[in-house]
Amino acid sequence: MSSSLILRSTLSKALIKSSLIRSSTQVRQSTSDRFAYVPGGPIYKGTVNDPTTFPPPSKTHGSYHWAFERLVSAALVPMTVAAFATSGTNYPIFDGILGLTLIIHSHIGFDSSAVDYLHPRKFSVLGPIVKWTLRAATVGTMVGVYQFNTNDIGLTELIAKVWAA
Amino acid sequence: MLYSIQTQSLKPEDGTTILNKQRLQRPSSPHFTIYEPQLTWVGSIFNRITGVGLGFLLYGFSLAYLVAPGTFDSAHVIEFVNGLPDAVKYTGKFILALPFSFHSWNGIRHLLWDSGKFLTVTGAYSTGYAVLGATAISMLVLMFQ
Repeated sequence: MSSSLILRSTLSKALIKSSLIRSSTQVRQSTSDRFAYVPGGPIYKGTVNDPTTFPPPSKTHGSYHWAFERLVSAALVPMTVAAFATSGTNYPIFDGILGLTLIIHSHIGFDSSAVDYLHPRKFSVLGPIVKWTLRAATVGTMVGVYQFNTNDIGLTELIAKVWAA
Repeated sequence: MLYSIQTQSLKPEDGTTILNKQRLQRPSSPHFTIYEPQLTWVGSIFNRITGVGLGFLLYGFSLAYLVAPGTFDSAHVIEFVNGLPDAVKYTGKFILALPFSFHSWNGIRHLLWDSGKFLTVTGAYSTGYAVLGATAISMLVLMFQ
């Protein structure tokens, strides 16, 4: 009795092992095949029932982007406090760095909103248009802030003067 | 009886097109309109709205200065603001101080979450109320400076 039980268990183990090998090779083949056979029927790609696509894993667009975004936001806290405390004309380089950091922070914020509401996967025409318009606008804003800080009184000074006007 | 039937010859891909056209016309259940307003998500979307608004202000002014430095330089802007009536000035200060205060304090709350603190329901609510209080105080300080 016990010997037949042992035999059955080893037989099932062998079957599981061979089926595992078979299913793993099937999975390897199915990723590159257009009509991949999996138990239940072949999978046809190119219909409306395709699952959503995911971007390839990338640290630049993943964890490094996240860390950079938090770094910029954290840096802005003491910089804003300092901008309130001093005036821009006394520390023009600091004013420039504050302006640049603010623009980078705004760009990351705008980009997150664009990706959330106008993802290129769903909006194949409007998504890329908004993405590149934002990038052009950021470059233009950087040039504009540089011009304003160089030829005029600077951002912090402007806000202080307008507030007191 | 013989009915004359008009048939239309379609390609196999047209089935997908017809299906997609029909899918666009399907109604969807209410979701955004029925979700109970809560401090969590109202604070979150308000953070985004204030951030985008302040960003538009920064980008708009910088691009306007780039395009027309004569009209948007500091002297003209200060002169224009000086000429406005007091009520408009206070309204303008309110419109600028509220988003800036809320976005700054909520940003600090966000950074606290990123460092792992207050990641509970009670933590989110207590920090949320603290942000609202700080926003009110700093907004009043900025407006009546």
